[in-house]
Amino acid sequence: MDQVINPLALYGACALGAIGVLLALPRRDSKTPQILGAVIASLAGGIVLLAMGLKAGGLFGIGLSPSVYFYVFALVALGASLRVITHPRPVYAALYFVLSILATAGLFLILSAEFMAFALVIVYAGAILITYLFVIMLATQAPTEDLENALTEYDTAAREPVIATAAGFVLLAVLTTLMFRGVGELPKAPAINGQSLLAEMPRKIESALLAAGSLPSGAKVTFDSSGDAKVDFAARTVEIKLADGGTRMVSLPGDLAVTNTEMVGFNLLRDHPGSIEIAGVILLMAMLGAVVLSRKQVQLDEDAKERHAKLLAAEMAQGVETNP
Amino acid sequence: MMTTLAQAGFPAAMHQLTLAHYLFISGAMFMLGLIGFLTRRNLIIMFLCTELMFQAAGLALVAFSRFHMNMTGQSFVIFIVTVAAAEAAMALALVVLLFRKRESLDAAEWQEMKG
Repeated sequence: MDQVINPLALYGACALGAIGVLLALPRRDSKTPQILGAVIASLAGGIVLLAMGLKAGGLFGIGLSPSVYFYVFALVALGASLRVITHPRPVYAALYFVLSILATAGLFLILSAEFMAFALVIVYAGAILITYLFVIMLATQAPTEDLENALTEYDTAAREPVIATAAGFVLLAVLTTLMFRGVGELPKAPAINGQSLLAEMPRKIESALLAAGSLPSGAKVTFDSSGDAKVDFAARTVEIKLADGGTRMVSLPGDLAVTNTEMVGFNLLRDHPGSIEIAGVILLMAMLGAVVLSRKQVQLDEDAKERHAKLLAAEMAQGVETNP
Repeated sequence: MMTTLAQAGFPAAMHQLTLAHYLFISGAMFMLGLIGFLTRRNLIIMFLCTELMFQAAGLALVAFSRFHMNMTGQSFVIFIVTVAAAEAAMALALVVLLFRKRESLDAAEWQEMKG
């Protein structure tokens, strides 16, 4: 663990973060402003990142630490997540959730997972968040005139904040201790040539050669029996069949490479074809369930009816008082 | 050789120390989601916090995918997103149903359902 972070910095920041989150959670008898707690918690996150960055040898692209964009996106993601759980208004919490999604998409880009980054933005920020915002609109009490900005009681008071925060940060401390101890002993990945997939995409090679102008007219990329192009990866050349029947090796264009999307596609469709079907079944079931649930007629509870009647009676009494 | 981001392909595997950075972010985000789920009483925000935990798990998977140079980690995130979308649809339909019954989003309204 010593090679990843100074244990003192980690556990100190965990304790500081716990105090900060505790202060930032909404409480009814709040003496300190929530923003103070948020600042303390962000400070704790910053301390951990700084300590790890210094240990990895320099913060700004020097040594083994990730690029400076990593620190920007990480701080935005953690800060937005903190605001999601501490903001008393559900609409703002949902919007901060979008911010944390965008920051995570940025982290995915740094990890060169471009397809997942954009899929995350489209599905989460586009689809799921709209659903959330609709439900927030549908499921909030209409504000009365004199209490337009009033918050409901269950939004302003957290439930058992001390126990939950302590449990959460103890979990984080244990988790990071175990992870950081193990991570130093992980074997390095074998140096796989990620380009070996290129042989399976002869059409892509052909169009790249055409665009580069190195394919004579009438020539085609040769296939072997399994449909793969005959690519020599060491020399970056590929075998082509000329119009008169002879074969020749031509060099590949320099910028020809397998993209992340192609690699995900090959992995998904060739290695896990069955799981796509299962995902489809899950989505179908969710759709059917949502339709069945929303068609159901619901009667108001006895309690809720009673509350309604009381509210109505109070309003009537008030109306009588103000204009008799 | 100048390559764009999309053409860069699969770059070299990252160092263990770099992996540790991503794992810390993932763990901290999961912990924030957990605290939110435990403390908040609004049903909608509780489900928002589960989404936060899903996202933290996805970040750890993508980081390990890059470290081990294995694309299966990224494929799995697609299924996480699928399950999150299905969960959002079902859970929010239930929330609307519960709200229509009690006119409140407070999770404590339903505490008589405990065993």
